[in-house]
Amino acid sequence: MNENLLTVSTSPHKLGGMSVRSMYLEYIIALAPALLVGLYYFGFPALITVLLTVASAAVSEFVASLIKKKPSNLSNLHVLCMGLMLGMILPPGAPWWLPIIGGALTVLLGMSIFGGLGAYPMNPVLVAWVALYISWPESMNAFLEPQALGTGDEWSEAETLLMQLKGDVSTFEMVELGALWLGNVAGFIGSTSAWALLVGGVYLLIRRIIPWQIPVGAVLGAIGMALLAAYTDPSILELGYEEFGANMNIVWFHLGAGGFMIAAFFLGPEPVTSPVTPWGTFLFGVGIGLMTIIVRTWGGLVDGAFYGVLLMNAVTPLLDRIRPKVIGKVVSGA
Amino acid sequence: MKLSNLFKGIRLPRPPAAAPPVDLPAPERVYLPLRQHRGAVAEAQVKPGDQVAIGQVVGASEEFESAAVQATVSGVVESIVQTVDPAGQKVPTVVIKNDGADTWVADTAEALADPAGAKASRPSRLLKRLRESGLVRAQVEGRPLHVDLSPPMAPQSYLYMTGIPVVRPVDTLIVNAVDPDPPVCPNLSCLTQVGEELAVGVAALARISGAKRVILALPAGGDASALAAMAGQHEWETASVSQTAYPFATDNLLVSALTGRQVPTPYGEPKDVGVVLMPLISALDVGRVLISGRPVIDRVFTVAGEVKNPQTFRVRLGTPIRDVIEAAGGGPSRPGKIIVGGPMMGLAIFDPATPVTRSTEGVLVQSAGNVVSYADHPCIHCGRCVAACPVNLIPSELGKLCEFRMYEEAAEMNLMNCIECGCCAYVCPAKRPMVHFLRHGKTEVLAGRME
Ligand code: SF4
Ligand code: SF4
Repeated sequence: MNENLLTVSTSPHKLGGMSVRSMYLEYIIALAPALLVGLYYFGFPALITVLLTVASAAVSEFVASLIKKKPSNLSNLHVLCMGLMLGMILPPGAPWWLPIIGGALTVLLGMSIFGGLGAYPMNPVLVAWVALYISWPESMNAFLEPQALGTGDEWSEAETLLMQLKGDVSTFEMVELGALWLGNVAGFIGSTSAWALLVGGVYLLIRRIIPWQIPVGAVLGAIGMALLAAYTDPSILELGYEEFGANMNIVWFHLGAGGFMIAAFFLGPEPVTSPVTPWGTFLFGVGIGLMTIIVRTWGGLVDGAFYGVLLMNAVTPLLDRIRPKVIGKVVSGA
Repeated sequence: MKLSNLFKGIRLPRPPAAAPPVDLPAPERVYLPLRQHRGAVAEAQVKPGDQVAIGQVVGASEEFESAAVQATVSGVVESIVQTVDPAGQKVPTVVIKNDGADTWVADTAEALADPAGAKASRPSRLLKRLRESGLVRAQVEGRPLHVDLSPPMAPQSYLYMTGIPVVRPVDTLIVNAVDPDPPVCPNLSCLTQVGEELAVGVAALARISGAKRVILALPAGGDASALAAMAGQHEWETASVSQTAYPFATDNLLVSALTGRQVPTPYGEPKDVGVVLMPLISALDVGRVLISGRPVIDRVFTVAGEVKNPQTFRVRLGTPIRDVIEAAGGGPSRPGKIIVGGPMMGLAIFDPATPVTRSTEGVLVQSAGNVVSYADHPCIHCGRCVAACPVNLIPSELGKLCEFRMYEEAAEMNLMNCIECGCCAYVCPAKRPMVHFLRHGKTEVLAGRME
C-alpha cells in the first residue's frame, strides 16, 4: 500500500468547526449564570435537585443505549444539557425522588422512544416537566423563600408571584421589580433571575447558537399581549392605571416573572424542536410570548411559558413550511 | 457598498495579500488534455513522433462547445495517453517532450495594438480569434470563452427548456477581480499587474458582447489602486466586493448583487439577464491574445494551503501539478488532499501528476491530519444551514430527503437550484456531508428524468 495516497471526497474541504458537543457546551455555559444565581438563593436543596436530575438523565441515557445496542450519546453533552435544564425548572423544595424520575422521563419519554437526538417532536425537558406536574402537583409547587448563601436560616415554604397573581391582581403593585429581575423571589431553581438568563441568552445570540428571531419574537409577543391585557382586562383596569409607564410595569413584571425568560432564550430555541425558516422561527417566538401572557392573565394554569413552548413545538412542522423565496427560481408561466 | 453585510452565506478569513505571479520555467514534459473545459473533446491533430512548435494546434474540434489546444513547449510528441481530469472523466492527453528551444510557430493572426483597434474590429472577427486561441474561462468546469460570449444558439428551444420568459440583450460586462473561493487567489495576485492588456481585453469583450456598461468588481482590502486608476481612465464603474463573505463573489450571486438582476436557475446563466461576467485573469488573457496574435500558453496558478511558501505562479499549461507544488517548497510529509480550486468548491484529485489546464486556477494542499471528516449523524434540525444557504433553500430538509432516496420530493423543494457552494456543510454541527447528499440527489434526479 502506498502511504501517500491522496484522499478524494466531495467539497467543502474545510468545515466551520462547530460540533454538536461544542454547541451544547455553549448552551451549558450560557445556563451557568442563572444556575449560579439559583444556587445562591436556594442553596443546598437546589444543588441536590440539580445534581440528581443531571445524574438521573445520564444514567437513563446509558441504560437506553444498552437496550438499543447503540453507542451512548453522553459524550456530546446533549443529555447533560437537557438534564441541567430540567433541574433548573424544578422547585428547590422538591422531594429527592422527583428529580430522579424527571431525569429518567426526559431521556426515556422525551427522547429515546422517538429515536433520540434529532428525532423527538417536543422539547423533552418540558415533556418530563409536564408529566411531573400532572402527576405530583404538590411536589412541583414546593417553592422556598430565597435567602442569601450562608445565612443558615430554616427554609420556609413560599408562593411564587404568579401564584399570588392568580388570586389577586394587585400583586402587580406589590412587587419590587428590581428583586424580581434579580431573582430574589420564590420560583424554580434556575429561572428566577431574569438578568442572569438574559446574559446567557445574549451570549447564545452573539455566538449564533440560537436564532435571534425566537427570543425577539417572544419578547415582542409578550409585550404586545401584556399591554393588550393591561388596557382591556376589566380586573386590571380596576387598578386604575392611567399612565403608560404604570402599564409598562405590568410588562416588566411579566417579562421577569416565572419561566418566561428561560422559555424564550433556552427552552424555546432548543434546536431539534424549533423551526428553521426565518419567518417560522419568528412566529414560533411570538407564539411563546402570546401564550405566556394569555395563560397568566386568563388561563386556568399558573404560568403559560412552558405550555406555550410545547404548543409551538407542535406547530413547528407547519411553521417550517413558510419557506423563503428561492433566489433565481424561475416562476413558470410568468 | 455594504451589500455583503446583509448577505447570508458564511464568513471566511481574508486571504493573505498576494504577490505578483512568479514565472516557473517550462517543465521537461507537458501533458495537454484534449478537453480542458466543459464541452466536447478535441481531436488530436498530431501523432506520436511529430515535431511541434509552441502555439501549434495539437487538438481541435468542429463542435461549437469545444476549445482548441495548442502546444505549450516545442519538442517531440511522445505519446497520446488516457488520463483522468479533476472531475474524474477520462480524457486523451498529448504528451510533449520539451526540447528547450522554445521555438514558436510562424504567427498567423495579426496583432491588434490597442483598445481602439479592438473597438474597431467586427465582433464576429474578434470572437473567431478567441475561438482559435482556445481560451477557456478560468474556473473549475469553465466553458470556452467564445461559448460564454455568444448569444444563445437556438433561442426557442433554449427558452422552452429553461423556462426563462425573455432573454435580454447583453448590456453589462462585469470583470470580476475577486476570487470566489479563497485562499486560492489568482485574480488577487494579478491586481497590480494590469495595463494595456486589460484595456484591450475589456474593450474587446465589451465589443463582442455588446455591453455598454463595464463594472469592475474589486476586492475590498486588496491593493486595487492600479485597477481603480484604469477604471477612471476608461469610464468603467467600480464596485468594492467583500472577500470574506462567501460565496458572494460567485457568478450568479455577484450579478444579482451588482445589477439587481436574478439569474434564472438552475439552467440559466448571466447572459440571459443581459450580463457577461469574466474573471480578471480571463480578461487579461483575452487582451494578451489580441495584442500578441498568439495563443496564451501559460496560466496564473495559485498554490495555497500546507506548502512551504504558498504563492502564485505563472505556469506553462500542461505542467504536472506535482511540479508546481514542488516549486512552492513542497507539500506536507503526509499528504492528505490536493484540491483543484478552493476549499469550499474545489475538486480533490487523486493523482498529483494531473496537469495544469486552462480551467484550473490553483490548488489547495492539505496534510493527512487536516482532512475534514464527516459524520453519520442525524440532522438535529438546528437551522444553521438554513441561515447560511445563500439561495434560500432549506438544506436540512433536502439533505434528509436525498439521504432517504426521495429524490423527486427533493426536486420539488428546489433541489436543482442548489449551487453546491458548501455553506450548509460548513456550518452543520452534526457534520453531515450535505453537499454529497445534494449532489447525489441531483444526479439521481437528472438520471430519472432521462429515462
Ligand atoms: S443547499 Fe446548496 S446552495 Fe444552499 S448552502 Fe447548501 S450547497 Fe449551498
Ligand atoms: S446544519 Fe446540519 S444539523 Fe443543523 S439543520 Fe442543517 S443539516 Fe441539520
